[in-house]
Amino acid sequence: MSLFQGINTSASALTANRLRLDTIASNIANAETTRASFVDGAWQPYRRKMVELSPQTNGTFDNFLQAAVGTVTGSRGGQGVKVTAIQEDNTPFKRVFDPSHPDADQDGYLLMPNVDPMKEMVDMISASRSYEANVTALNASKSMMLKALEIK
Amino acid sequence: MLDSYHLQVLERSLDAATLRHRTIANNLANIDTPQFKSQQVIFESFLQDELNARAGNGKLEAYRTNQRHLPFGNVGGVAVPQVVSNPNNFIQNSGNDVDLETETTELAKNQIWYSGLTQLTAGHFQKLRSVIEGGGK
Repeated sequence: MSLFQGINTSASALTANRLRLDTIASNIANAETTRASFVDGAWQPYRRKMVELSPQTNGTFDNFLQAAVGTVTGSRGGQGVKVTAIQEDNTPFKRVFDPSHPDADQDGYLLMPNVDPMKEMVDMISASRSYEANVTALNASKSMMLKALEIK
Repeated sequence: MLDSYHLQVLERSLDAATLRHRTIANNLANIDTPQFKSQQVIFESFLQDELNARAGNGKLEAYRTNQRHLPFGNVGGVAVPQVVSNPNNFIQNSGNDVDLETETTELAKNQIWYSGLTQLTAGHFQKLRSVIEGGGK
């Protein structure tokens, strides 16, 4: 049973949370972007993006070894977390009256991205707290390994 | 002495502590994963049963007709940790039941337990060394 697996588990979570933070940063940066993609001769505003997570399970050498040797009973421990997809938020775009804007339609209305900065801030705090929790777990792994090296 | 039951128990306990640490790390890694069910490691109660059994008030005690026969209790080895799902947790809207406070306190407890075990193991070898070196130093 290797402590290194604990470090890998925490590392996968750090990577996933970093990606969440990057995605949130992208959403906030593009909160006013009206020209994200060119579809059918018209500019479409930016769509909010979300990270989809799922647990990373079995299939690893370590799991098969543990199962074969039988040093643990019950369900196998997981191997961390992985990002399965970056999904787009399908809620409708905001419709704003701004006739002076170059992308406004003939009635003077303009489609704005479906990004809600408040929602993004909440998600950002959640992601950075998760990141911190996983750093704590990683530091615990490190100090446990150093303790084990003190056996002599 | 070198291959004593004491050392076996320490070794298996260290294994269990490592497994518990990994399980907690995995729970923390999946703190935002929808539908994730957290897990925990059960070990101490099994170990206690095993030690009680060795003390003679339990299972697997072989009847010896001669004191020089090997005791049966040694054969089975020591308790094996078990990974089970966390039973009494609140569940969030996303179907995830990881409790940050519980997991971090368990992490801290397990870390202290682990360092205690490493000290005991080091002490075991220290005793061996003092026997080998004649104890005169």
